[in-house]
Amino acid sequence: MKYDCIIIGGGISGLTCGIKCAKEGMSCAVITAGMSALHFSSGSIDLLGYYPDNTIVHTPADVLNSFAVNKPDHPYAKCGPDIVMEALNFLREELSEQELELCSNGNNNHFHVTPVGTLKPTFLSQKSVFNENINQAFKKNTTISIINFKGYRDFNSDIAAVNLKKHRLFTDCTITSNSIDLQDLQGAVKEAIELRSIDISRIFDKDENLHEIAERLKRAAGDSEFIGVPAVAGLENHKTVYEQLVDLTEKIVYEIPTLPPSIPGMRIDRALKSRFSGLGGVLITGDRIIGGTIVNDQVTRVYTKHHQQEGMTARNVVLASGSFFSGGMVAEIGNIKEPIFGLLVDYPKQREEWRSQLFFQKPAHPFLSFGVRTDENLNPNVQNGPLVKNLFCAGAVLAGYNPISEGSGGGVAAGTGYYAALQAKKRCDDIRKGNE
Amino acid sequence: MKKFETRVIVIGGGATGTGILRDLSLRGIRCVLVEKDDLASGTTGRNHGLLHSGARYAVKDIISAKECIAENMILKKIARHCVENTGGLFVELPNDDNTYFEKLVTGCRDAGIDCNEIPLNRAMEIEPNLNAEVKRVLKVPDATIDPFRLASANTLDSMEHGAVVLTHTEVVSMIMDQGIVKGIRCFDRLGQEDIEIYGEFVVNAAGIWGQRICNKAGIQFPMHPSKGSMVIIDYRVNNVVVNRCRVPADGDIIVPGDTVSLIGTTSKMIPLEKIDEVTTDDDDIDVLLNGGEALIPNISKTRVLRVFGGVRPLVADTGDTRGRDISRGIVLTDHEERDGLKGFATITGGKLMTYRLMAEKTTDLVCEKLGINRKCETHIIPLPGSERETLSDKQTYKSIPETVVGSTRFRHGERAYRILKGDRKNYSLSCECEMVTSGEIEYAIENLQVKDLVDLRRRTRLGMGPCQGTLCAYRAAGIFFETGAADYENAAKMLIDFMEERWKGIRPVLWGDTLREAEFSYWIYQGLFGLGNLVKETKGRGEGVVVEEEY
Repeated sequence: MKYDCIIIGGGISGLTCGIKCAKEGMSCAVITAGMSALHFSSGSIDLLGYYPDNTIVHTPADVLNSFAVNKPDHPYAKCGPDIVMEALNFLREELSEQELELCSNGNNNHFHVTPVGTLKPTFLSQKSVFNENINQAFKKNTTISIINFKGYRDFNSDIAAVNLKKHRLFTDCTITSNSIDLQDLQGAVKEAIELRSIDISRIFDKDENLHEIAERLKRAAGDSEFIGVPAVAGLENHKTVYEQLVDLTEKIVYEIPTLPPSIPGMRIDRALKSRFSGLGGVLITGDRIIGGTIVNDQVTRVYTKHHQQEGMTARNVVLASGSFFSGGMVAEIGNIKEPIFGLLVDYPKQREEWRSQLFFQKPAHPFLSFGVRTDENLNPNVQNGPLVKNLFCAGAVLAGYNPISEGSGGGVAAGTGYYAALQAKKRCDDIRKGNE
Repeated sequence: MKKFETRVIVIGGGATGTGILRDLSLRGIRCVLVEKDDLASGTTGRNHGLLHSGARYAVKDIISAKECIAENMILKKIARHCVENTGGLFVELPNDDNTYFEKLVTGCRDAGIDCNEIPLNRAMEIEPNLNAEVKRVLKVPDATIDPFRLASANTLDSMEHGAVVLTHTEVVSMIMDQGIVKGIRCFDRLGQEDIEIYGEFVVNAAGIWGQRICNKAGIQFPMHPSKGSMVIIDYRVNNVVVNRCRVPADGDIIVPGDTVSLIGTTSKMIPLEKIDEVTTDDDDIDVLLNGGEALIPNISKTRVLRVFGGVRPLVADTGDTRGRDISRGIVLTDHEERDGLKGFATITGGKLMTYRLMAEKTTDLVCEKLGINRKCETHIIPLPGSERETLSDKQTYKSIPETVVGSTRFRHGERAYRILKGDRKNYSLSCECEMVTSGEIEYAIENLQVKDLVDLRRRTRLGMGPCQGTLCAYRAAGIFFETGAADYENAAKMLIDFMEERWKGIRPVLWGDTLREAEFSYWIYQGLFGLGNLVKETKGRGEGVVVEEEY
């Protein structure tokens, strides 16, 4: 069969694109090798966190226009700020269909607490993550208790508490750290000697444990008004788990991200995938696109690892294959390439210019901005070849933005994924009109 | 200001310094070691870890070759747990000078190095990845040695015999009185404290940094720093040491070590000002990868994990009669004889391979000066961990995964029994790449002079594997604070120092999977943690965290 759209990559970008395509009535398939950047993320969606001079952006929705005007090669300039905001709203609505609520602090950024107790600006967070105005939320003499689970080393409540206390906002607050044991509860892997986030989320997912967990949290928190826990409070039943925890502890409970695997990221991953499948999209997991045929200005066929001979055909192809880590881009000793189609890539030839001298230097390493160059419709060029008109690039495979130093990864992923779907839809409509 | 007294002060915590400390303490002499950074953080920890058979020197330098084979036999016994008895090959490739092979065989025979030519099919069996076009192969008793483990075991034994070890403590000046060295003034960088140590004799075992120590004593002691760079491959692609059978040159050896292989080595003179920040140039990397490729084809396609460089302390002026031609040999200088300064000696030159012999000669001199009549025993008494096997009974650890038992014993030898016991939570893995458990981390912090995450890496291999510390550094930091070894105030600082230390070796080889891994690390430490936002100043250790954001 010939799909209206084949999407290469199952991260935020590819799945947002897939859901939009499916909702527009297109036949589409998402091909994903497995885990995506979501599994290593905080689970919050950044829109724009930092200006080019590294100062914090407080009202990203308002500054998006001027930001895009100053950076014409930025993906935000290509989609247009309105589409980006529309895409984020779309993402919120689609996730809420799957009982995963994303919250924002109005049009402003909020600051989420990190595993080392720093504060990072972000735009959308899950309901279980602090997402209010930080200047108003914590009054003088507020008491906060950060509670970890025994045997879990991918979060450290002491480090988080000590550093959080150093922020001016919290100097007059009491922040304590504590830990409780959950290893005697239902669903705990008794013989486990190293606990990972997923092990603990399974304990939370068991309904019969919730009263006991809440009781222990409450006891450990003592008089504190706020409880911070590592973000492992349920995966499959997260919504109920979180509501119950708040009810039963009678305290304000917030989740703080952890080292990977990221349970909040996995919640988004699951919700997007089941939404996509629920809308009739074809999700092909555990396979990967290894190449494609381009004739003139069209991708005519793509080949997967498991279907190397016959391949698959589609009217449109969206390349949402991610950055280097995900394999969307490949760096060799002297060059950088896009491995599936051999697309034109923006990067300096000298290896020295790929990275900064210090690991934590600002601005962030140049290689984070390397990627496929596209026109304003997200169409790329083949290396030394034509513009490919039915191929659209989305997400981290794109050049022209630095997801970490800008704090823009989520917004670019969702925005360009959504925009690619609109472009594909337009082409499908044009083809149908032509046939009539 | 802290003041105390001892008999002998040793400056430098490399193989030589820790070796001298052990020799002194085994002879019952009270002693203190002062190291400005960490044990094995200088040249000792920055070489390819070859336990020379001496064959490499057999053609040109018979004295070094004989020293090597003698020490080789000793270290295989007394430092058993630091040595992997791999064996080594010298391989002649098609365009190599074919007269070198015979010279090598003759040289080895003269030096007493057991070597024999083996058939090519046997060589390919031993080392299947070897270049198939190899012409002739000579088998030699090369092996590998872990210099971190070696310095650590020497230190541990010294401390168990009463020696005092002060790491992260830098010598500020010498205490001198009428042409006699009476002690040293130093600064403890972690405790931020001045210390005066008085003693009857000061030994300068600071390697290439020894020139600066001599200057503090008012002595000119010129050295020629020679930089050697190496590339680490993320897989153990060879099982025996593979040498190119030709006149020594850049990129002519591949040494297996633990889970990785190393391509060595380049040789470049550098100015003395550059010895603290050794960098590797892109052309060094090309030379090494091409050299490695000739011995083991496709090695450069394997992931390059990192690069590093060390500085050899070559001596330019040995006082009077000796010249440059033996400058890679051992140079022990009695400054009373050379400069009329009593109570002070400098030991330099030499190689990791001959560290024990250097220590023996130095300690003999110290004993002579102090009028002590005790013989050296370091060639007989095994290092802690290398004692006779007592733990062969696997039953003891039947509840612990064999991989964990194996890794722990590989690193700590017989001392592993102190780690592999107690609560099961002690077996939980903090570093999956190198199988380092929480128990091993606690043991290292408590017993092996570990002050921060960078030190911990040298004692346990934590963060040396494919992920380069991305997942384990944060976990290990937690254990650090729980054991009370550091306070939480410095958590961010310690993590930043560790990541920056790792970055130095990754930066020059940022392509392929190494770039992917670096992107992942950056996502976690900057994208997820925002660590870079927290600290303004990242120079030096123990500085506080500056929060600079407005919300």
